[in-house]
Amino acid sequence: MTDPLFLLVKLPYQALRVPRLRLKAPALSLPSASAVFALVLVSYFLVISGFVYDVIVEPPGIGSRQDPITGAIRPVVFLPGRVNGQYIIEGLSSGFMFVLGGIGIIMLDLATDKARARSVRLSFVAAGISFVSIAYTMIRMRACRLWKKRLNVSLHVISYARCQEVKYILSWKA
Amino acid sequence: MSSTTSITSTKTDKMAAKGDHAIGTPPAGIMSALEGVLTQLKAFRLKPKQQEMLLRVSALLLIYILAFATRLFSVLRYESVIHEFDPYFNYRTTLYLTQKGFYEFWNWFDYESWYPLGRIIGGTLYPGLMVTAALLYWGLRALSFAVHIKDVCVLTAPFFASNTTIVAYFFGKELRDSGTGLIAAAFIAICPGYISRSVAGSYDNEGVAIFALLLTFYLFVKAVNTGSLAWSVASAFGYFYMVSAWGGYIFIINLIPIYVVVLLVTGRYSKRLYIAYNTLYILGMLLAMQIRFVGFQHVQSGEHMAAMGVFFLMQVFYFAEWVKAQLVDPKLFQAFLKVIVIGAGSVGALGLGLGLATGYISPWTGRFYSLLDPTYAKDNIPIIASVSEHQPTSWSSFMFDFHILLILFPAGLYFCFKRLTDAVIFVLCYGLTSLYFAGVMVRLILVATPAVCLIGAVAVSATLKNLAKLLREKKPTVVTSAKTSGSTKAAAKSGHDQLLPFQKEGAAVLLLGCLYLLVQYAVHCTWVTSEAYSSPSIVLAARQSNGDRVIFDDFREAYYWLRHNTPSDAKVASWWDYGYQITAMANRTVIVDNNTWNNTHIATVGRAMSSYEDESYQILKSLDVDYVLVVFGGVTGYSSDDINKFLWMVRIGGGVFPIIKEPDYLNNGEYRIDKEAAPKMLQCLMYKLCYYRFGELSTEYGKPPG
Repeated sequence: MTDPLFLLVKLPYQALRVPRLRLKAPALSLPSASAVFALVLVSYFLVISGFVYDVIVEPPGIGSRQDPITGAIRPVVFLPGRVNGQYIIEGLSSGFMFVLGGIGIIMLDLATDKARARSVRLSFVAAGISFVSIAYTMIRMRACRLWKKRLNVSLHVISYARCQEVKYILSWKA
Repeated sequence: MSSTTSITSTKTDKMAAKGDHAIGTPPAGIMSALEGVLTQLKAFRLKPKQQEMLLRVSALLLIYILAFATRLFSVLRYESVIHEFDPYFNYRTTLYLTQKGFYEFWNWFDYESWYPLGRIIGGTLYPGLMVTAALLYWGLRALSFAVHIKDVCVLTAPFFASNTTIVAYFFGKELRDSGTGLIAAAFIAICPGYISRSVAGSYDNEGVAIFALLLTFYLFVKAVNTGSLAWSVASAFGYFYMVSAWGGYIFIINLIPIYVVVLLVTGRYSKRLYIAYNTLYILGMLLAMQIRFVGFQHVQSGEHMAAMGVFFLMQVFYFAEWVKAQLVDPKLFQAFLKVIVIGAGSVGALGLGLGLATGYISPWTGRFYSLLDPTYAKDNIPIIASVSEHQPTSWSSFMFDFHILLILFPAGLYFCFKRLTDAVIFVLCYGLTSLYFAGVMVRLILVATPAVCLIGAVAVSATLKNLAKLLREKKPTVVTSAKTSGSTKAAAKSGHDQLLPFQKEGAAVLLLGCLYLLVQYAVHCTWVTSEAYSSPSIVLAARQSNGDRVIFDDFREAYYWLRHNTPSDAKVASWWDYGYQITAMANRTVIVDNNTWNNTHIATVGRAMSSYEDESYQILKSLDVDYVLVVFGGVTGYSSDDINKFLWMVRIGGGVFPIIKEPDYLNNGEYRIDKEAAPKMLQCLMYKLCYYRFGELSTEYGKPPG
């Protein structure tokens, strides 16, 4: 006992022939914890490198300065003068150092896992210690160089610096 | 007991032997007296559990005192004075509250600012900070300590910072264990990201708000963990305190729904979550509507709609779970689930669309929209774009405020992912979202600080536990029975139960390395606090060529000149930065101040400052102005004066009055103020006021004047 309305609605489609498809709705499953962790680590690297700053302020990849004596153009890695400023490459390399240090500590924890082979554990320990020390040394070097340069930028009388209290910036791309 | 007596007996034997060797038989009286004292002391010996509690409590006490003490640099160097610009407004309102009482405070209409518009203060501020300081003041007075309200205001922020460390301890304990809590408390106590807005003298909303934020989060996580109604109600009250304290409560009301959705997606729905979230949302919303400044925004504003959407989602989830328990047939339940999901989704979308279309639900305000789309403010809202605190963050600012926590953060994430619980997922959501927002705006590093400290503490605690375990591991005993020789051989080959080479020494060295890193962190934080974040910015210091320190108190001298030498109904025009300080210290009416709620008014002042003298005179006369205040730093080398900010005055003024065009003030695109400046620059009011008779002034000894 078919529905007359159904027959009416079916009418325009009688001319078509339904193809045989083997489509399946994709089975969505939650990603594993390690996959999410990897994604999170990559996004952390981007944020720490000052990615948002790069997108908005659009600084050059690396700065340049003309050597007064020889006249040649020399690259400048760290942005001089301002506290809250960076070039792109300096940001990315520092972000990489931070992530490297973090991975070093992770390796040290992986080395305590007794289920692995002894040589693997030893190599993890060695890698972990070296990563952390490299990261910390590089960061210390850069930070000291950076802050010495920036904190001394003040006009000739005042010697203290309010690092985040210069309320207005004057960098304007005309 | 036997061990103690054996120890004492061996001691006496040794002493007896020595005595015999040296002099002869020592007197028996002294020996028995010593034995008696030693047994007495042994009775005081604590059990390990009590020892641990003693250590913990004393560590927490020291951390509490440290958090307070490290914020007192500027009080010790200069004096107990309120810093900056915004805190002066807070101080003035607190003074009013303590003098006139609650009713006058709520109904206050201030005619002394934003002349001639005035400002409804009772309805346009967040009262939490003022009420807290007033309560502390009244409490101390009731205990007959005759304190001045200014000192209470100056020291409110460090006091609440100490309280934050205690909350962080409990939060860490909830996350993992009490060791994590102690380390988290220690990190937060000295982290520069938090210190920057909570030094003594920085009497601003954030000082109290971060305490309220962490308290609300802790209470909510406790409620989700235990499912008890008491903790949920407590978290609602914590949320109410946060809403009364700071506009950043939007972060809480959006983070908690995100957390709930994450839990639902990862399949961790439970009755406890249902109880906790519903109580927090309903009770918190009702309480938040008591604050006049917030009003009905919880049902009207687009920024709060996520919470409402998740609220309805939770009801749908609960309903689906209940139906699932009733139905026996799983196929029927699947069909029912499809119907309910489609139905709920369409109803929700319809409701949202209707609300947005009729305008009942307002869209996201510019301030918060620029967090999602950072390029928005640069193009559209110059006032927001002009404040340097709203700039995106570079890596050096992160490093400055966090130091080794940036290295510990990814490691902490790893340890969190290893052992996921409901509380840990919350800290992960909080940490990642707040770190992203901190990347967008420098000022929000403050909000990210507790999360980064907590996750860093997880990393340090887990690493220290591992190292200590390696240090204490004993060599496995060799099994000699023939039956198990095969298994031991296999075990020896694969490295099971074998210590790594130099395990004890290596672990000790690594522990020393950890100690070194943590000590460097403490040194860095103290250096940063002392050098960068402890200057009151109302008092400037400089060094002369012979090394003497010179203090400039120009701001306060100028304000007090205004107070003493001008009629009491005089009106002062200045750039909006100084408005709060002028009303608080000079007690005169101002035209615009830091509230910046009326862009056109500010643009009028900006236009007056950047026009020719005769035009400015007309504009200022129409505003009824008697005095104009400008800040000029050319004599001392102070770099954030009005000449430096002048281009922003032009931009903001030009945003409303197109007659002001920025290229008029630039010389070939460059902003100069010497004789090659643009002609309009040389003729405008600001330049003339700043450089009036500058040629007669000598700046430095030996150099020509001007």
